[in-house]
Amino acid sequence: MKKNNSGKIIQITRRSALKGMATTAGVAAVSLAAPGIIRRASAADPIKVGVISPLTGAWTVYGKAHSAGFELAVDEINAAGGVLGRKFEIILGDSKTEPRIVVEQANRLIRQERVDFLAGTFSSAERNAAGPVVTSANKILLYPTFYEGQEKEYYPGVCNKNMFMFGPEPTQQVWPHLEYMMNKFGKKFFMIGSDYAWPRVTNQVTKRRLLELGGEVVGEVYIPFNTPQYESVLRDIRASGANIIFHTLTGSDTVNFRLQYTAAGMKKDFVLWTVDDEEVVTSGLGPDVSAGDYVSFDYFMSIENPNNTAFLKRFRAKFGKDALMNTVGVAMYNAAHMAAMAIEKTGEVSTDALREGLKDIEFENGPQGKVRMRGLDHQMVLPSYLMRVRKGWTGVNDMFEEIQSFPSVEPLDARCQLPL
Amino acid sequence: MKQRTLKHRSLLGTTPGDLLFSEPGAALIVFAILALLPVFFSGYMIYILPQYMLFGVLAMSLGLLWGFAGLVSFGQAGFFALGAYTMGLSMKSGGGIIDPAYLGLLLSLVVGGILAAAVGYFLFSAGVRGTYFVLVTLALSIMLEQIAVSQSQITGGWNGMFIDRMSLNLGPFGKISLFDDAPMYYVILPAVAIIYVILYTITVTRFGKILNGIRENEDRLISLGFNASLYKTGVFAISGAVACFAGALYGTHANFVAPSLAGVLFSTEVVVWVAIGGRGSLLGVLLGGILVASFSNYLSAITPEYWQLVLGLLFVAVLLYFRGGVAGAVAQLVNARRAK
Amino acid sequence: MSTALSVVVDATLITLILALAAFGLAIIYGLVGVINMGHGAMLTLGAYLTWAATTAGLPFVISIFLAAAGVAVIGLLLEHIVIRSFYDRPFDTLLLTWGFFLVSTEVIKIVFGTDLRNVANPVPGAFDLGGIQIPAYRTMIAGCSLLLIAGSALVFFYTALGIKIRALIQNREMASLLGLDVSRMYKLVFVTGSFMAGLAGALISPMLSVDPYIGNIFLVRSFFVVIIGGIGHLLGGTLIGSFLIGGSETLFALFSGQVFAQTAVFAVAIVVLRFRPHGVLRSG
Repeated sequence: MKKNNSGKIIQITRRSALKGMATTAGVAAVSLAAPGIIRRASAADPIKVGVISPLTGAWTVYGKAHSAGFELAVDEINAAGGVLGRKFEIILGDSKTEPRIVVEQANRLIRQERVDFLAGTFSSAERNAAGPVVTSANKILLYPTFYEGQEKEYYPGVCNKNMFMFGPEPTQQVWPHLEYMMNKFGKKFFMIGSDYAWPRVTNQVTKRRLLELGGEVVGEVYIPFNTPQYESVLRDIRASGANIIFHTLTGSDTVNFRLQYTAAGMKKDFVLWTVDDEEVVTSGLGPDVSAGDYVSFDYFMSIENPNNTAFLKRFRAKFGKDALMNTVGVAMYNAAHMAAMAIEKTGEVSTDALREGLKDIEFENGPQGKVRMRGLDHQMVLPSYLMRVRKGWTGVNDMFEEIQSFPSVEPLDARCQLPL
Repeated sequence: MKQRTLKHRSLLGTTPGDLLFSEPGAALIVFAILALLPVFFSGYMIYILPQYMLFGVLAMSLGLLWGFAGLVSFGQAGFFALGAYTMGLSMKSGGGIIDPAYLGLLLSLVVGGILAAAVGYFLFSAGVRGTYFVLVTLALSIMLEQIAVSQSQITGGWNGMFIDRMSLNLGPFGKISLFDDAPMYYVILPAVAIIYVILYTITVTRFGKILNGIRENEDRLISLGFNASLYKTGVFAISGAVACFAGALYGTHANFVAPSLAGVLFSTEVVVWVAIGGRGSLLGVLLGGILVASFSNYLSAITPEYWQLVLGLLFVAVLLYFRGGVAGAVAQLVNARRAK
Repeated sequence: MSTALSVVVDATLITLILALAAFGLAIIYGLVGVINMGHGAMLTLGAYLTWAATTAGLPFVISIFLAAAGVAVIGLLLEHIVIRSFYDRPFDTLLLTWGFFLVSTEVIKIVFGTDLRNVANPVPGAFDLGGIQIPAYRTMIAGCSLLLIAGSALVFFYTALGIKIRALIQNREMASLLGLDVSRMYKLVFVTGSFMAGLAGALISPMLSVDPYIGNIFLVRSFFVVIIGGIGHLLGGTLIGSFLIGGSETLFALFSGQVFAQTAVFAVAIVVLRFRPHGVLRSG
């Protein structure tokens, strides 16, 4: 079962890639055969979706859940007969975790594969790289990752009428839980993050609400990627008298920092709250290092609701019982279903129709519960969960215990020219 | 009849047949094919080829350094990214009295040239050896990447910077938009061809000959009274300026630059292109950049892991068995056939 | 006061760990003149092999030696198949070892996958020294680093083998006239360096996320350690180089951001390289 399904998708990709190879051969002036490029779409033709995932490179760990979420949704859509009588077809592009490659792949998918719309890209930098491409080609991009929110100055990477954000932003992921954390553990925050826009803006937004609530930031440091040593940072944290370490490190630096933080025996003296470490990274940390830390997201594999139970059952049937899902994969899943609903609603496959269709659309079967895409700023209304990592967890099923949750959190309006 | 042949020989140093098989002849054919491609094709290929041609120029900037002066830089991508950022900032500034795109292109030549000259002179004047030079350029590209990340108010940090597509400003005759693929293609292709001609000319002038001498035996050149460090500084400055200029064009073509463009991974990819293309031939290096980048893009969709592995093995094989790369192997083949 | 003390402790730990990471490189570079660009991949391999061995249920101490031995075997193969015919061409060995890096990184990804792995910390906890907490495991590695370097010094200066090796660095032709099997000595040195790199990767693995790029973090720093310390000054040079690179990064980070600290250290290293191309221990 598993083999057949994934085999199908690979096959599609392989065929399209081979077509691409033939084009390259043209560069070498050997020969060229690219039939079927100028073919009118007919009712039976599939709706083509270009999916850009980090399949290789530094963030491959996230890439699996990322593309798997979309693939699962497309299987479900096609099993139900497709949309307007047409099936979805995925054409996969590897971003290699490089913004430069995203530009190449987005153009390939749009210009050569003639996809109807795009989904994916992972980091903010990757999304920004795709921004000018989808703007000039007038294609929709469905973006799945938790991110820093939309500020006008980063147009066309955000505040873009061709982009829809399916992941949470700080006013959804952090704000709802600030009060609880402050009341329980204290008002002094030490912020540590990787040195780029997501941690910086997330901290800035967090700080705003924190100060309103009477909190205090006693330290703020940003760490360059691939930093192996954390002695001085750990010392600063110790000296700061913080109650809570607010953690926005990403990738392997998360692991490096947490291993050394734990080794320094600091776990017992501080509370750590991370807004980055979903199932995949927490698995990488292991139970000893992650135990007792707080995490907040819109989705966790262990949340209990009928949607999620059914979703995970289908997911595991397709990708195996040990496969990991996370907030980003679920956002990709929602994105595919909601795009299908939007196309169904407007009865048309075009950028304008998809944009109009996605506005204010509701999806009942989201794995995290009912979700809604806001028409005003293309930002998803999502639940928000605060979890604590269980001591001695053995797998994703018992990794997190729920502390508190809100079923539906409206984000602050995007700081853009609204409506988009 | 005989006289005419002789005349040709004196004119070009070669017979027409030789010309066909010589590097400029082959280059002529390659550029002619590239010039005709947009007539027959459109879409993605015409969009992406200029980017790969600019990668080819980046490869040539290293080819000049490695093949002709015997210096390997692991930091060429640093200059490339510097060019893209220069272009982006210049476009943002609006340019003042001259067109911002032209300002960006001009500045990229100056900035790349000066940085390379400064670093080069600093090192070569103290007799820093080729192997250390590799490590310093490696560190240079890491430093440029880190600066691009940390100076986020200028560069946009890790999230990158948007760069508008340039237009061709013809002064009183108005502006030609380069928004579409074909016009942009026909701006970048001649630029690449001109850079090729300039670099090729450099290699056959006295300067190029002296560089060759330095590569073969630096001490001998020094004892003959040449200031080797000055020549090495010169060639590194040219290489830096060319890489930076190509980066500026790349930036305005891709509309985006992020710090990882300066990084070690991309820098060393350039080394692989040059080795496979054939460091002894600028044309081979140019094609190496274009073709390896193209195949990387397409094959990565089929076997992302194995393609990288194949590329690595190919790199080692070239170093061990075909030191001239593909261009060297082709030249050998042609010579062998003509010798018969 | 405790700040000053903790800076000293931090700098010492960083210096010794960096020295450990750079030691294999220093051996190969200093004794046989090969700039081993594959050093990062050897560290990574050491970490992955440790992960594989501990995951298979072997005790940590046995795992690290197995890992180091595994890397030594790979180093032996690399030397025997490729490097040995290129000793007189440092430039080619640099590129070839870079090729080794490219290939082995891809093989690691294929064999071990790209998920984040971790090796459980065998000595958890920290101890208190005048009010500052010092992680026990890091201290242990720092100790290992000192032991390794001191042990190598003993071998180098007080054994017959050490004398042979020193003769070899000083004058290769003379050594071969004296009847030393030069190519075997070179092989021995290369394998020892690989072993040390693997051991370093193994020892570092519990502190860092084990991923295919773990070794890269140390690659450029290690090179500067070796260059600044000075070629051939295997023991003192490695320690001093580590201190200048790691210690100055700690100091810079006190007054500026971490990113700036890293950039500044590289800049300083380049300047030192310019004025002391043979390292700080040797004049001129």
